[in-house]
Amino acid sequence: MTDPTLIRNFSIIAHIDHGKSTLADRVLQLTHTVADRDMQEQLLDSMDIERERGITIKAQAVRVMYDADDGKEYQLNLIDTPGHVDFTYEVSRSLAACEGVILVVDAAQGVEAQTVANALMAMNAGLEIIPLINKIDLPAADPERVRHEIEEGLSIPADEAVLASGKTGEGVREALEAVVRLVPHPVGDPDAPFKALIFDSYFDAYRGVVALIRVIDGSVSKGVKIKMMASATVTDVEEVGVRRPANVPVESLGVGEVGYLITGLKDPALVKVGDTVTLARHGATEQLPGYREAKPMVFTGLFPIDGDQYPDLRDALERLQLNDPALLWEPESSHALGFGFRVGFLGLLHMEVVKERLEREFGLELLATAPSVEYHAFRTKGDMVVVHSPQDMPDPGHLERTEEPYLKVTVLVPPDYVGAVMELSEQRRGTFKDMQYLSATTVELHYEMPLSELIMDFFDQLKSRTKGYASLDYEYIGYRESNLVKLDILLAGKAVDALSFVVHRDKAYARGKVLTEKLREIIPRQMFEVPIQAAIGAKIISRETVRAMRKDVIAKCYGGDISRKRKLLEKQKAGKKRMKSVGSVEIPQEAFMAILKVDE
Amino acid sequence: MSDAGATLPRHVYVHVPLCRSKCSYCDFFSLTPDRLPVTPEALVDALFNQARVWTERGVAPAGIDTLYVGGGTPTMLGEGLATLVSALAIWAGAEPDAEITIEANPESVTPEMLELLAMAGVTRVSLGVQSLDDAELAMLGRAHVASRAIDAARWVTEAGLDLSVDVMCGLPGQSVADWRRTLDRAVATNAGHTSIYPLSLEAGTPLAAAVAIGDAPEPDPDVVADMLLEAAAVLKTSGLLRYETANYARPGHESRHNTAYWTGAPYLGVGPGAHGMLTAATAREAGFIVADGVDRVRYAIACSVETGLGIMPEVTVELLDEGESAREDAMLGLRLTRGIDEGLASRAGVTEVLEGLAADGLVVHADGRWATTERGWLLGNEVFSRVWAGE
Repeated sequence: MTDPTLIRNFSIIAHIDHGKSTLADRVLQLTHTVADRDMQEQLLDSMDIERERGITIKAQAVRVMYDADDGKEYQLNLIDTPGHVDFTYEVSRSLAACEGVILVVDAAQGVEAQTVANALMAMNAGLEIIPLINKIDLPAADPERVRHEIEEGLSIPADEAVLASGKTGEGVREALEAVVRLVPHPVGDPDAPFKALIFDSYFDAYRGVVALIRVIDGSVSKGVKIKMMASATVTDVEEVGVRRPANVPVESLGVGEVGYLITGLKDPALVKVGDTVTLARHGATEQLPGYREAKPMVFTGLFPIDGDQYPDLRDALERLQLNDPALLWEPESSHALGFGFRVGFLGLLHMEVVKERLEREFGLELLATAPSVEYHAFRTKGDMVVVHSPQDMPDPGHLERTEEPYLKVTVLVPPDYVGAVMELSEQRRGTFKDMQYLSATTVELHYEMPLSELIMDFFDQLKSRTKGYASLDYEYIGYRESNLVKLDILLAGKAVDALSFVVHRDKAYARGKVLTEKLREIIPRQMFEVPIQAAIGAKIISRETVRAMRKDVIAKCYGGDISRKRKLLEKQKAGKKRMKSVGSVEIPQEAFMAILKVDE
Repeated sequence: MSDAGATLPRHVYVHVPLCRSKCSYCDFFSLTPDRLPVTPEALVDALFNQARVWTERGVAPAGIDTLYVGGGTPTMLGEGLATLVSALAIWAGAEPDAEITIEANPESVTPEMLELLAMAGVTRVSLGVQSLDDAELAMLGRAHVASRAIDAARWVTEAGLDLSVDVMCGLPGQSVADWRRTLDRAVATNAGHTSIYPLSLEAGTPLAAAVAIGDAPEPDPDVVADMLLEAAAVLKTSGLLRYETANYARPGHESRHNTAYWTGAPYLGVGPGAHGMLTAATAREAGFIVADGVDRVRYAIACSVETGLGIMPEVTVELLDEGESAREDAMLGLRLTRGIDEGLASRAGVTEVLEGLAADGLVVHADGRWATTERGWLLGNEVFSRVWAGE
């Protein structure tokens, strides 16, 4: 166990692409945590998708030993946090394990939306913030301007900001010195019963669930019986250790230390992010604040394009769920798409990442239906139906009223873009609450908005309408009454279940129109005319027609053409095979994607 | 369908990879004279020598019914073409009533040359007219004008040769009225045979590029459909009846050579870029490595003078088993108005497919045969691809 005064727990936070991961790599090198020959880029981002997209999805923790200028050796715990609004809760738990952060700002790009959002989150958590201006080796670097932006936009003193380059390694030692000097050391009671925060967990195929923890009080060692307070689960500690970044067992973890606990548990759902772990007997009585149940907010149908991959998809989901307990799913079947699963996600990015991992790591080809939220439908006979899929929606005749989840949405944006944000928010059924100037360069706007509007590419729209400056945060505020209807799309007179969605009645007409128009462009001409209709119940609200194909013939076919033309026909046929046929209509996969991105 | 024995080819195709200039829509293999590494005389010799190698390989034709010299522009060979035709006719043993066709472009024929060709045994000339509108011809990059095509057509007839004209519809900017004018002029040549091709924009050609970047309007497939219907109607009133997807003839003037392609008859291909089809037995005899179970071998000679012109040209082969051969024959047979008989349909295992196509109105079943309908001509790919796929 280390004397808490020689421990510093910190995180590196940054806007995307400002060089957070490269900087973390340099820290590992400088402290000889990783031998130069084992160094690979973005070491802490262990998934390919994380490296490629430059985002961190899973939290990570690594212990490095640092010989400071004061002659003492410090234990530094670097906690890498996920970087997206979908994972706001996970980020808040990671930050709760720290006393300080290094706020990385690109020396050329300056302060950006996520810089603001991240800095605010760190401030709210009461953390010491060390500004670091990165990439000073770039020709376009302008550290003075950026220093000014940090002070003006974030109200963080920046005259002592560290100037660094993750690329050359310059300034990295200064950054660690600042951490030692400025970040408070952890404080806890070594004699109190063991109490720690679980800030992430993962599943090891041989050892079971591994929890990443930050010790608050007391200490923990192998063999101790522990209890997870929120999940009321008791188990034995099979091993304690630290990550460097590979797991290294240690005797015990004491006050302020960060490390891992092997629980021997087989069910990841029992080890929840944000939960408090303590002794099974005579343990702490009070949970650490801030715990929340991970609750999926966005639901979508995932269907294998090749129906034979259905069992593989189930296996893949089970495997992913081991490391991602927030992922929930149940079987679903569709006339158009066959057998698949209705899957719940924390948000849209979570959904995209999971879909991509399923396709890439498990070799599946998937079709995703329009994302939806959990609606509540109250029937005339007095009961309530939970609607996860448009198919669950009761008939209009039996429907008394409907409710949908609402969010309190916070947008931070430079004053110039306030108009654009207001326009977008109103289009998305947002109710304006208030607005305040945080500084001359930052305005904070509050809206109440249905979650269903937020998941329809709101974040992308917000970014593009504010040139990337806006940052977004939201919290769930409960269900509100809303006039919802199920919109069906009929092709050649037959409803295609996978194209149905639930929408506010006021927007149904416009959405139906845009969607039928879009489908007319996407659905190729077929041998017969294909009417495309949008309908609420039996009422048709818009109609388009894909005219029948009149000519499709290879006219020239002589001796030299036969092999070539046959291959051309085979290719054409293979293209059709990738389409889904509903009745006599062949529907390309893009049609199912089209409804994911409909901008009225 | 194919005979397991060595059914020697009774049809020969020769490819002459030479053109005065490259047309803007063409993706066939041909070279302009400045890029041809041999003289036209040497090209004639090399083509004939390549044909003769089949004799050494033991599969020389024992008599042929048709010879077709295509290209390219065979008439670019000048008198050498007459030499080539007569040499090949003698070598292959052309029957007295053999159909011997040459392809020709209007700019490269003269009355004298046609007379010479007739003496060499040529019976039929397929004239690349393409359009009878000078602006359209210029857009296509053709080396002739409309009046020259009309003269050339007359010279062919005057030389006592059977005339076939090729015309194209669905050109960028072409209206139905424009098309009707070309069509009427083509009928006025009195050709006994006419081929109608909708323009196909082939990747890599200048015309496809012009359409892709918006320099030329993309032809509307619905308008092209109207043009094709118009063509069938106009030709019919002039006594030219459709006998294949793209081909119309007065009775008795159908192309026997091309009909061989659509009925699964083996043929020899000679020259760079040429294709041939042999029964498995013939192919084995000729020295191809052919696995058991193969029924039919298609080969393509390399599209290069360096590797495709010698006596041992580079070839790529495609091997078809009995089922594939039958389905190919069924697919190609449905290009013909007479269609295919029930026996072939059942050998190919496509009876059920044909019933489905009949339900869609694309084929019709009558008198023991399956044949394509009017609707089926325009939607031929649906017929061909379902029959070939067998599902």
